[in-house]
Amino acid sequence: MFPWFKKKGSASTAKDRLTIAIMSDRDNNNSYPFMAQMKAEIIEVVKKYIGVKTINITKDVEGDFEALSIEVQLDKNA
Amino acid sequence: MGNVIAVISGKGGVGKTTTTANIGLGIALNNKRCVVVDFDIGQRNLDMILGLENRVVYDIVQVMDGEASLSQALIKSKMNDKLYFLAASQTKDKTALQSEKISKLIESLREDFDYIILDAPAGIESGYEHTIEFADAAIIVVNPEVSSIRDADRAIGILDSKSQKVKDGAEVAKYLIINRIDAKMVQSGEMLSSSDILDILGINLLGKVPEDKGIIDASNQGKPIILNPNSAAGQAYKRIASRLCGEDIDMPELETVQGGFLQKIKGIFK
Repeated sequence: MFPWFKKKGSASTAKDRLTIAIMSDRDNNNSYPFMAQMKAEIIEVVKKYIGVKTINITKDVEGDFEALSIEVQLDKNA
Repeated sequence: MGNVIAVISGKGGVGKTTTTANIGLGIALNNKRCVVVDFDIGQRNLDMILGLENRVVYDIVQVMDGEASLSQALIKSKMNDKLYFLAASQTKDKTALQSEKISKLIESLREDFDYIILDAPAGIESGYEHTIEFADAAIIVVNPEVSSIRDADRAIGILDSKSQKVKDGAEVAKYLIINRIDAKMVQSGEMLSSSDILDILGINLLGKVPEDKGIIDASNQGKPIILNPNSAAGQAYKRIASRLCGEDIDMPELETVQGGFLQKIKGIFK
């Protein structure tokens, strides 16, 4: 009601900036303690079938939805 | 078996020690045996807030190293005989805390008390990790301000990966306290509201505490503000302590300015 009476404050700016900053913090830091071991084991399994250069595992969080993305880089020379 | 709760914040200066002192006393006022433990090694402050700085003889590191017994080091509060306090040591040695010794200390506190409240140091260094390591739950204290909220999220991330409960496959309970809320600023859109903060952090709200100038006076005197029946912050801490003791207490609206003429007019049009 009567939006022109409202002085626009900076709280909404704070919320937007925080949401983005925290999302990027979480991407960089929210990995599981077992991540390194899991990565090594996946490499072992894939190696049985095809040459592997490296594996990248990232955790994505979007609201309640969380996903692990596993990217396998193949080694053409192997 | 007592319940071990770590009070954490990430950022310093948001009211972690004040919160620990008030919640501890509040739990004791609910007739439960409670001990508050200062884990801020090298920067002991909980003793001042509780008005017990002259009673400290032995500290937590001396107990862990076997130089003093737990009963020698525990200090009974002057304000409530169900509340006890264990001081941090003033040593600069950051390696003073070791997981094995902390675990042993916490196990013996669990036998003697219903609630064990651990006041964590600010930051996310080893002292912080040791505080949360054996906790069943954590209370996260934030101010409605960007750096406090961002640092709290980092501290929560570490809690979720380093606590023993999480390593054992269980979940560590997390409760949020929003401290130093200025209703007028929230109303005018100049301060993040509690619902904004809950959206961002995604954890459960334990309580809201309004900004209260009386906090300085309370710490000057070493008398936690929960003892002041006229203080809004004191009443907020009282409700929080009762919620922790399992009571179902309403969450009063602290973010609307009450009684103003304009407010009443706006109310009519809502």
